[in-house]
Amino acid sequence: MFEIQMGPAGEVVMAGRLDATQCDVALRFLNTVPKLRVIDLGRLEYIASMGLRVFLLTQKRVKGLGTELKLINACPQIHDIFRYAGFDRIIDISCASA
Amino acid sequence: MIEQRVSVASDAAQLPVLTRFLKEFWSAAGLPPAESAKFELALEEVFMNVVMHGSPAPGTQVEVSVILRDGGLTLMVENDGPAFDPLLLPAPDVAASLEERKVGGLGVYLVRQMMDAVCYQRVAARNQLRMTKRLPTGGASPRVAPGV
Repeated sequence: MFEIQMGPAGEVVMAGRLDATQCDVALRFLNTVPKLRVIDLGRLEYIASMGLRVFLLTQKRVKGLGTELKLINACPQIHDIFRYAGFDRIIDISCASA
Repeated sequence: MIEQRVSVASDAAQLPVLTRFLKEFWSAAGLPPAESAKFELALEEVFMNVVMHGSPAPGTQVEVSVILRDGGLTLMVENDGPAFDPLLLPAPDVAASLEERKVGGLGVYLVRQMMDAVCYQRVAARNQLRMTKRLPTGGASPRVAPGV
């Protein structure tokens, strides 16, 4: 199961499994968020390359609008996937314990 | 040795079926939960590669086997499509800047990071990709080889 919604402080909150079947849902949602910046990954349990693609496309899009994504509260396993892919070099991502 | 097998249509909508199959195998075999996501990722990447690149027509079947043996787990993905070796895909540049980053191409790279060994074979007109990783503890077999 995957959930994406707005949090109380205007951040986007993701939860569950962002697998290949959920990427369109995530992208469609993110494309509708005005002034998108912070995405809370605290309850995101799983991601693979198709999920990473969502963040890459979104980062490219918002960079063109003059801002950048800030991913917060990633669990160590999710952070590792971003790091293996070299995405920690191009997207600001921090761990829950940081 | 414990082996289980499942067959699904080559359709992205079948991914949750494969994930559930792997999770059920995992808990039934009492495998370490922390290792599960690496195999879930490997299965998703390889299955989606078959769906996107390897199948001649919708409805083609993809067979997935999970084999637990000697403290290691092997995932085997087989299909009838035209010969397609995903290991020959060019490696992504994971040091590229945002502007230079290409969308896609990361799947096989991540699988190689997660697994100890990945190999492709064309066997009897079928594509066969085997991915193996040693499990740190909690495997069903007592015959865990030394070394990591």
